Amino acid sequence: MPIEEGAIPELTGLSPDQIRGALQRLKSKRLAVVEELHRSEPSLTPRGRAALVDRLPERRLLDLLHAAGSAGIPISALPAAGFSGEERSAAIGRLRRAGYLDGTTPLRLKVDSGSLPARLPEEAVLEAIDRAQPVDDQATFRQLERRGLVQTEHHTMKRWAATEAGRRLPLDDIDSQVGPVTAGMLLGGRWRELSFRPYDVRSPPPHRLSPRPHPYAAWLEEFEEILVGLGFQQAEGPLLETEFWNADVLFMPQDHPARSIHDALTVEGAPEIPPPEPLLLRVAAAHEGRPLPGLAVPLSRGWSDRYDPAVARRPVLRSQTTAVSARFLADGPRPPFRMFSIDRNFRREEVDARHHLEFTQCEGVLGEEGVSIRHVVGMFRELAEAIGVRELKLRPSYFPFTEPSIEGYVRHPLLGWIEVFPGGLLRPEVLAPLGVEVPVAAWGIGIARLAMVALGVNDIRELYDDDYLRLRGGNR
Amino acid sequence: MPQEHLSLSRLERLLGSSATEANLTEWLFPTKAELERIHGDDLTISVTPDRLDLLTETGLSLALAGALDRTRGPPPWPRRPDAERFAVQIDRSVAPLRPALAAIRVHAPHGRPLDSDLLAEAIRFQETLHATVGRDRRAASLGMYPLRELRSPLRYALEPIDQVRFTPLGETSARTAREFYAQHPFAEKYGAYGRVDDRILTLRDAEGHLLSLPPILNSGSYGEARPGDLDLLLESTGLTERTTQEILGLLEVVFAGRGWSWSPVSVHPAREAESAGAARDVPIRIHLTSRALAERTGYALSPPEVEEWLRRARLGARAVPGGWEVEVPPWRPDLLGEVDLTEEVLVARGLTAEEGRILPSRTRGGRLEEVRFRRRWAPLFLGLGATPLCNTVLVSADTVEALGSPPAIRIENPVSREYAYARPSLLLSMAGTLRRNTRHGYPQIWSEIGPILDPPGTGRAAGSTRYHAALAWAEEGRGFSDVAAISDCLLDALDVSSVREPFDHSSAIVGRSARVRVAGVEVAELGELHPRVLEALGVPVPVAWFEADLSALWPLVRPSGTH
Repeated sequence: MPIEEGAIPELTGLSPDQIRGALQRLKSKRLAVVEELHRSEPSLTPRGRAALVDRLPERRLLDLLHAAGSAGIPISALPAAGFSGEERSAAIGRLRRAGYLDGTTPLRLKVDSGSLPARLPEEAVLEAIDRAQPVDDQATFRQLERRGLVQTEHHTMKRWAATEAGRRLPLDDIDSQVGPVTAGMLLGGRWRELSFRPYDVRSPPPHRLSPRPHPYAAWLEEFEEILVGLGFQQAEGPLLETEFWNADVLFMPQDHPARSIHDALTVEGAPEIPPPEPLLLRVAAAHEGRPLPGLAVPLSRGWSDRYDPAVARRPVLRSQTTAVSARFLADGPRPPFRMFSIDRNFRREEVDARHHLEFTQCEGVLGEEGVSIRHVVGMFRELAEAIGVRELKLRPSYFPFTEPSIEGYVRHPLLGWIEVFPGGLLRPEVLAPLGVEVPVAAWGIGIARLAMVALGVNDIRELYDDDYLRLRGGNR
Repeated sequence: MPQEHLSLSRLERLLGSSATEANLTEWLFPTKAELERIHGDDLTISVTPDRLDLLTETGLSLALAGALDRTRGPPPWPRRPDAERFAVQIDRSVAPLRPALAAIRVHAPHGRPLDSDLLAEAIRFQETLHATVGRDRRAASLGMYPLRELRSPLRYALEPIDQVRFTPLGETSARTAREFYAQHPFAEKYGAYGRVDDRILTLRDAEGHLLSLPPILNSGSYGEARPGDLDLLLESTGLTERTTQEILGLLEVVFAGRGWSWSPVSVHPAREAESAGAARDVPIRIHLTSRALAERTGYALSPPEVEEWLRRARLGARAVPGGWEVEVPPWRPDLLGEVDLTEEVLVARGLTAEEGRILPSRTRGGRLEEVRFRRRWAPLFLGLGATPLCNTVLVSADTVEALGSPPAIRIENPVSREYAYARPSLLLSMAGTLRRNTRHGYPQIWSEIGPILDPPGTGRAAGSTRYHAALAWAEEGRGFSDVAAISDCLLDALDVSSVREPFDHSSAIVGRSARVRVAGVEVAELGELHPRVLEALGVPVPVAWFEADLSALWPLVRPSGTH
């Protein structure tokens, strides 16, 4: 026979806490089952209860106007009559909408006193709730809810019943023996009169799911440790960038298919931010294939006839952490330098097993005399080995800001070869405008894909897993 | 990556050998093209965005022949010295709309006029270039015309639409340009790039024959190249001279690879035109120094080796003091400077993982102090029994609406409603998590530490990146006081004294949300979600949350030196 949880204290003399604990233990041992019944009921908030006693502001105003007759009452007199600013607005608005007031001042009743209601709908709803009667006028209820006078309370009723195994349990010994030691037993010395029930210490305890670090976040931290160990200093940058830092300063042409591989998400309402003027002039010269200010020859043929500073100011969600590298290099680091940033980026991509529109990249730059493309390869190998990946192969690639550009592929047990190590040497058209005089190796590792290899995940979406049971150590 | 469907049999004919899926995969791996799939004669290839020339059978066969060491050096692309000079005049009227034009003539080799195979390849590649470099014809477009009946000079101008009659390519009868603009699907798609009010772009010859309505369609009367033609005009109109030259140069590869020759076309800009095309009379040459090559690649390559690798990259190199002078073919606009040539050498030579060099570190690594401060929160949350989350910054429109549409940065070009806003608080992400976990029991305690973007109206620039830490507690019987206790506990752990003050959060029950200040600065919010929010999320138990602004808190705790 099911029994309501609220009735158990009276039947047993145990406290609600003791009962809750005991029931959970019975449930986990499959000796009892619970059925939950949910219901919602309206109730008065403290403000609603006060309004019931002190009367609603609209009722108080109605009574005042009735007493004032045709002379009416100026609005300025209401504070002296005990109306707060909020009450004054609510009362006037409510009576105007109900047609009791016209729009003129002083405030004056539009109807004769015989037409005034004995009870406003708001009063009727408040009184019904107070008397625990059903509320039919839902529109008025919602209006009172918005005013913070009433609320909906959700209740859950739990009805417990013994399972078949629970019913078969012999209870004779249990009646004469006690389970947990309580503070009451100890304080009164009653424990001396009691016999303690021995437990079956081999029986399985209730299953506890304990929190643990998020696997992806924890893996990213481990990867950071590797980079710190290799002498890299961490850097961060804003998620909302300008096109200047996200693309232009990286020598990505403003109107070219190459830019479309970084198809950015744009946002509404964010301000345009002009880039630093001297740097803008140097970047514009590099794009247009003109000599940089102070130089005699251009760095290269450049990209276009016209570099558009208006494009540079536009805000976009960062599509690559190379923007963080650009800001780092613009600050004029002293060589030798090594910088890393593990952060989020956004691209306008459909989400599938291999792609996510929000993804984490591990950006790195390494600047010192003598750095060549072979050192980029060496770094990829070092990083791959550090996370236990042994198979790495290379192929040429393309990034507008590096030349040569390469892509390192590692083998995933199910997905096959996947590209995770893109990088190269930054182009002179990037370095010279930023004032960097040493060669700089740079890469933007698709760390989410590397994490998939390391964590044995087959779908990139699983990296953002938020399933309660899985994250607390339940079955995957 | 740009992708195209090519003809396998055409590629095999040009390559002079058969190609299977296995050997194409192997051949292409060290290049910038990749085999996607083969289905019958349909060969799907993707390329890096700098090598659009590989999206043709001719361009791909040229590169493969070099990579497989079957042919070296650039394909012959001779300038025909005896060709009659052709000219194009650009009228000043086009300047505000589409000012640039570039053009050349191409001539069939003796005894091998234009055939349907080359024509099909050229037309298909033309469309590929429209979609890529041409930005769907907005930035640049191409035209290809037989020169058999055309008289120089051509004239590129804007004309009143009602004065133009036109037989569209593929049709036999003429109609007015106004009818064409109103009825033809191409005009609907590209018409805006060739029309200002009631004037449209036209390209005519000296006798007034209409060649095309740029950038929409050629004329069927005078603008249709056919098998058997010996002499063609290739032109490009567009927004900038550079783009028109680039798209035209790329198209040339299909003729160069088939033994054709070329001759320049004089382009005469209008006196007051802002920009105009020019004939490509002078080839582009780039100087590659042996020093730069050695520094960037890390290899000591002998001059004969470098010349061999450049020739296998299908480039022509001439030794000069200190290095080489390389002539850039028109279909290689990716070769901007010396560093691009170093890559050509490297790609032709090949690079393996085993050749990587480890550079000993001469720097000391470390984390940002602010990041270390954030990291301190993770064990605190774990100690409170909270399950850590790693949610996306982008949140769904449904969740934003469920929380009563708090101010948030809206994505202008979202991929879907699922990622339509940048979160202004971690609460939004955790609300989504609560919604997705209603099938599990309660209690559920969640935590997250991560970035948010400031919504408009905070007093800071909208979209500023800040880092927050938050905890949400969903359990029967829990409420505001539980998260208030957590707030006090966490801030006490940081050794700061905090003050809680009333604050009406739009997602909370009135009177059950608060702000927390430290030294007068707002550093946190907490509260109890309103039942209307819980109902919208489908969560059957009360939820209380605490969210700290770590970017605001960090400067306040830093002086204590507790990190």
